[in-house]
Amino acid sequence: VKKIFDIALGILAAIGGFVDIGDIVFNTAAGAMFQYQLLWAVVIGVGAIITYSEMCGRVAVVSQRAAFDAVRERLGFGIGLLALVAGQLVNLLTLAAEIGGIALALQLLAGLPFRILLVFAVLGLALAIWALPFEWIERVFGYVGLTLLVFAVGAIKLHPDWGGVGSGFVPHADTGNLAVYLFFVVGLIGAATVPYEVYFYSSGAIEERWTPKDLGINKANAIIGYSLGGLLSFALMITAAELFYPRAISPETLGSVALGANVPLGEIGLLLGLIGILFAVSGAAIDTAFSGAYNAAQFFGWEWGKYRSAVEAPRFTLAWMVMLVLGFLIVVTGVDPIQVTEYSVIFSVVALPATYIPILLVANDRAYMGNYANGRVANVFGIFYLVVILVVAVAAIPLMIVSNMGQG
Amino acid sequence: MSNPVDLALGILDHQLLDADGRRCGNVDDLELEGVRDGAPRAEMILVGAPVWRGRGRLGRLAAALAGGQTVRIPWGEVEKIDSGVRLKKPAHEYGLGRGDDRARKLVAWIPGANR
Repeated sequence: VKKIFDIALGILAAIGGFVDIGDIVFNTAAGAMFQYQLLWAVVIGVGAIITYSEMCGRVAVVSQRAAFDAVRERLGFGIGLLALVAGQLVNLLTLAAEIGGIALALQLLAGLPFRILLVFAVLGLALAIWALPFEWIERVFGYVGLTLLVFAVGAIKLHPDWGGVGSGFVPHADTGNLAVYLFFVVGLIGAATVPYEVYFYSSGAIEERWTPKDLGINKANAIIGYSLGGLLSFALMITAAELFYPRAISPETLGSVALGANVPLGEIGLLLGLIGILFAVSGAAIDTAFSGAYNAAQFFGWEWGKYRSAVEAPRFTLAWMVMLVLGFLIVVTGVDPIQVTEYSVIFSVVALPATYIPILLVANDRAYMGNYANGRVANVFGIFYLVVILVVAVAAIPLMIVSNMGQG
Repeated sequence: MSNPVDLALGILDHQLLDADGRRCGNVDDLELEGVRDGAPRAEMILVGAPVWRGRGRLGRLAAALAGGQTVRIPWGEVEKIDSGVRLKKPAHEYGLGRGDDRARKLVAWIPGANR
């Protein structure tokens, strides 16, 4: 029973931990612009993140190699270094977006000036990372992030056209502007698959000291946790489709996202929605800062891990601190956090193959993996999603330009 | 350690772990003997930023930017090879982990740094 309880707790944290600022921005904008039409793109993104999280979790557990161990071992120093630089730039941009998102949520809750709230956000993150053990970080932010479920309740209460919702899961483009539509396909897939999730997930498996006995938990967390997390993305898109699409409003602030909980559920919905956004985005910010530190430590061979003390893993500790400071510096310049989010998501898709390819290679290597190497199912999904991600990665920048960042 | 291993895929770029299980660098390069006889053996494990110079154009650039020193570890110091390359002695006896030693001074003063 305790085992089932543990699995359930892990799944809950995965659900709450799935949504980040990229998902919030892209799902809301997609719903406002294309109603339910792009739900299918979320399904693709969620499928990809499930496949590769399960795989990199299994690789980490069985071979004790986290993502950037595999990257350097398989791609060598030179190309591995390129993958590292690309991954770190995307991590930084993502972190800046998440920090901005935290400050925006705090602003809606507390109403202080944005730049002061940015300082609070970064100090709060640093304190949480410093003071809380790894498992607690995951759980505190994951569980409170579950209050995002008010958007699911809100979506149902807004009485969407369920037939229309259903047809959104079948790819079709009913629009005059195909470039914008495709830009949003890229954005939704990119938001669901941001690279830090895979980096963090694989290192997390080592942080939690999973053994092959825990591979069931790995599978459950990835498959059930992220599928249910994907439901939150659907909910965000559907509430936006109900509230903004008929009025041709494009939601450009986090405040309009929160209306998705406010309109159907009133004051309490608004409060829960904002708290959900605050904790989900804060959790994502911590994951991203850690990802940056994990990647650097693994590539250069430093001691790493929150399961080590700061004195035992000092360069790793400095690395996440530097990530937080740099992320803060980007967003304190006054750039629009929502725009930073859009760029971070698009560039993260471009960097993604450099992570997925080595994971797929190592997961198939029986010398590392023995009997736990990829079976047929994992490979069919793995190759399918790799091809999808490659196509999306190639198309991302051209679509960004042609669609004028989705503005048409 | 006299068993045959795949030097390129099995050793190069792998994690080094010292006698206490502490991560202390990666195998940045290897010095081989007997390449001409057709029976190459690893003689030395090379660690440190200057070694990256031998790792392609980007390696040269990274080495130039990073500076630092080269550490040479005789192959006989390898205890065993599993998920990483495990060494027989603690890192400091080889001169490894110096970066962490320096960084430690920057974080050690913060309350709770030992937890």
